[in-house]
Amino acid sequence: MTSVPPTHDSLQDGSLDGLTVQVRLPLDRFDLNIDLRTEKHVTGIFGVSGAGKTSLLETICGVRRQARGIIVLGEETWLDSERGVFVKPSQRHIGYVPQDGLLFPHKDVRHNLLAGRKRGVRRGHPVRRTFETAVHILELGPLLERSVHALSGGERQRVALGRALCSGPRLLLLDEPFASLDVALRRKLLPFLRRVRAEFQIPMLFVSHDPLEVQALCDDLIVLRDGTIISHGDPRAVLTASHIFPLAEQHGFENILPCYAMEGGGSTGQVRLGEGGDAERVSVELVTLRSEAQPGEALLAGIPAHDIMLATRRPEGLSARNVLPARITQLRSVDHVGLATAELSPDLPPLTVEVTEKSFVELGLRVGSEVFLVIKATSCRLYRTGERRRT
Amino acid sequence: MSPEVLSVILLTLQVATVSTLIVLLPATVLGYVLARYEFFGKNVLSALVGLPLVLPPTAVGFLLLRLFAVDGPLGRETLGFDLNILLTWKGAVIATATMSLPLVARTAKATFEGINPRLELMAHTLGHGRLATFFQYSLPMARRGLLGAVILGFTRAMGEFGATVTIAGNIPGRTQTIASAIFSAQQVGAQARADFFMLVAIVLGFLAILSAELLGHGRALPRVARP
Repeated sequence: MTSVPPTHDSLQDGSLDGLTVQVRLPLDRFDLNIDLRTEKHVTGIFGVSGAGKTSLLETICGVRRQARGIIVLGEETWLDSERGVFVKPSQRHIGYVPQDGLLFPHKDVRHNLLAGRKRGVRRGHPVRRTFETAVHILELGPLLERSVHALSGGERQRVALGRALCSGPRLLLLDEPFASLDVALRRKLLPFLRRVRAEFQIPMLFVSHDPLEVQALCDDLIVLRDGTIISHGDPRAVLTASHIFPLAEQHGFENILPCYAMEGGGSTGQVRLGEGGDAERVSVELVTLRSEAQPGEALLAGIPAHDIMLATRRPEGLSARNVLPARITQLRSVDHVGLATAELSPDLPPLTVEVTEKSFVELGLRVGSEVFLVIKATSCRLYRTGERRRT
Repeated sequence: MSPEVLSVILLTLQVATVSTLIVLLPATVLGYVLARYEFFGKNVLSALVGLPLVLPPTAVGFLLLRLFAVDGPLGRETLGFDLNILLTWKGAVIATATMSLPLVARTAKATFEGINPRLELMAHTLGHGRLATFFQYSLPMARRGLLGAVILGFTRAMGEFGATVTIAGNIPGRTQTIASAIFSAQQVGAQARADFFMLVAIVLGFLAILSAELLGHGRALPRVARP
């Protein structure tokens, strides 16, 4: 009797195949010149449009034949131009999800999902089980027999994601999968990506220029400009670094904090910051607008950096619902804007606050200063994750 | 309907069918190659493929005649045996195939150009090699346009006159098709016979296009790139 293969590719202990990409590729305006090494689960690729993000993914896929250099995933070498190694795109075991879905118009949803089945079977991937998992977590059941012409934008992208998973990939490449959708819909699709992340131990490269998506999904982040990596590291640290912050600023930098919903209190909502579970030394609660979240539901709170006020004394007679004690851990200026990093508690990710340079001086702010963060309930956006609090 | 009249109609259908079957594969491959690949001499090849569309059909017929003449490159004296092309229905097939190939190839090219090549790259990344991608993705996605191309080629073959007459002649019962029968009837003033074949031509052409509409649920005749 043969043993049952594991549900998904990598080992269940969480170890992932490392990815090394050292490539050069001439583009129209500049050369793509990448030196990337990552062993993280989800690596974000951030940058303004035209920075070379899609070219990088296409190089990894193998459809940019002019690229020179080295691409190695785990033990598999896909490109080594010095040694004359070039593995064809069809042999690379990559699940690619493009911005425009690229569903096959001559197949229905089910057969789109199964388009990469043969390769999956060839390399011993339990395609049937993956198919069932993908259909379940992406909620594709009711769509299976539909023609792809009858799908909405969000449904198309979910099918494209499912199709990539069902081919049994060793690496997932997500090229701004939701960029063509409006913001409200993108927020609704976020939980699907988080479920894929939780369910599949496959390394992913996730191209996005949305700071929220990056913070909600990525363990690692690179920033591309004119074809080169200008920053690499922890997503929150990278996004708030002074030379990167202006890039995110185009869309307004939003602090993203994990939290979970508490019993609702009439006209407002209330969340407790943190992931729950392990004993938190300090519990920080945040008053928000009423939300549909059920008590105990895991959420992400989004607080725009320019919607937070700093006070050196506890202010009174204020309409803002949240006045939270914090400690300044970092101060810096970017283009005459002051950026303060404030810590609510050692257990929680720090918040970035945007004020004028003048305020820094007048308030006499210093690293280590004890301050109060003033946040209106209406400034706290809540994003659902579709998950429950960790217990 | 007299057996002689029936034989003209059947021969026309036979020639057009065989010619379409012969043309289908090379024209599709040619259309795909011209739509998808860049290579040295591509423009020259494209112009050569389109040539029969702009030449007088009699010039094409005469070229074929020289090719298959007794002392031509494909004639009896060169090959050592007779291909039996001149003044036979096989000659008519060769003439109509030559005339309809450019139409089918150019329509196929336009059809493939209308399909996003990134869909084919997507098929590659899902593990399909070039051949599998062509047969399982490119061809099925192009099926409507290709069906239109085939119908176009078939009707072109049914109506071909100049090249066919030049190489296969206009022999009643042997190489006379609807097109040449109308010409002969009109030459000798047989008005009723000419009228009859004209009506048959209209009905057959109409049925061909209608069937394409019904089968394809869409444009039967896709945009044709004229030279």
